[in-house]
Amino acid sequence: MKLLERLPATSTRVEQNTAPELNHAVRKRADAELERLQGASNEQFIARLEELDREWDIERLLQVNASSLALTGLALAYTVDRRFLWLPAGIFTFLAQHAWQGWCPPIPLFRRLGVRTAREIERERYALKVMKGDFDHVPAPGQADASARVRAVLAAVDA
Amino acid sequence: VNPLQTDRVRRHTAAAVLRRIDEVTADSLNEHASAGSAHFAERLQALDREWDIDRTIEAEASAMGLLALGLGAFASRRLLALPVMIAASMLLYGTTGRYPLLPIFRRLGLRTAREIARERYALKALRGDFAHMQREPSTATVATTQVRTATGVDQRRAAELQDTL
Repeated sequence: MKLLERLPATSTRVEQNTAPELNHAVRKRADAELERLQGASNEQFIARLEELDREWDIERLLQVNASSLALTGLALAYTVDRRFLWLPAGIFTFLAQHAWQGWCPPIPLFRRLGVRTAREIERERYALKVMKGDFDHVPAPGQADASARVRAVLAAVDA
Repeated sequence: VNPLQTDRVRRHTAAAVLRRIDEVTADSLNEHASAGSAHFAERLQALDREWDIDRTIEAEASAMGLLALGLGAFASRRLLALPVMIAASMLLYGTTGRYPLLPIFRRLGLRTAREIARERYALKALRGDFAHMQREPSTATVATTQVRTATGVDQRRAAELQDTL
C-alpha cells in the first residue's frame, strides 16, 4: 500500500510527466473553446459534447500505438531475424513504465501534437455541461434533503 | 448527451456488473451528501489516485508480455505465440474496447476514467462548486471564468504537480 501511495495519481500522471508549457497550451485551447461557446445554442453544445465523446485520449492512442509496434516486431522476428524480438521487449517495458509512472517515449511527441488525457477531456466536458445549464436545477447545500440533491446531481451529470 | 452511453468499455460490460459499478458511485454520493463538506476533499483525492481500467490493463498486459517474450525467447519458440496474442488483445482493446480479461477486471469493480470523472464532478456539484453559476445571458462571461476556477487544478493539485516536476 505504501508503494501505491508513492506512485503518481492515475488521472494526473501524464500531466506530471509533460513540460508545463505543453500542459498550459492544452488548457488554453480548451479554455478558448469554452470562450467560443459562450451563449451558444443547445445544439452547438451538444455537437461539441459529441466531439468529446469521440475524442481519442492519450491512453487509447498509446495502447494502439504500442500494440501495433509490438506486433510488427514479432512479425519481423518470425520472418526476418530473431533479434527483432528486442522491439516488443522494449515496447512492453515502456508500456509498463507508462502504466506505473506516466511516461514513455511517445508522450512528449503526442503531447506536443495536443493529444489530451481523459482528465483534460472530462474537465472540458463538465465545464460545457455547466455552461449549457445541466447543473441549474441542483439545489444548493441545505436547500433540499440529501437524497433529493443526489438525484438532481445524477440527473445533471447524465443529462 | 450522457457521457456513459458512449463509453466503449461500458458497451462490453454485462448489465448486472454495470449496475453494481454505478451503485458504488451512488452510494458514495449519498454518503457524502449527508456527511457534510469535510469529507469531500478526501474523496476527490482518492478518485484522482484510483487506478482506472486503462492503467490496469496497461500494467497487466506489459507484465504478461515481457514474461511471455522471455519464455518464447529462452524456453520454446512456439511460446512466441503468447506475446502475439497479448499484443493483439491490446490492439483489440484500444480499437473496440473488448479485452479478454475485461469481465474479470470489471467484476473486481475497476472503473473507466469516465465513470470516475462522473463521480468526481457529481461530488463537486453536491459540494456546491457550481452553485453560483446558474445560466443567465448577461453574466455569461462571469460564468465562464467561474467554471474555469471551479473545474481547474485547485491549489493542492497545482502544488502536487510542481513538486513532481
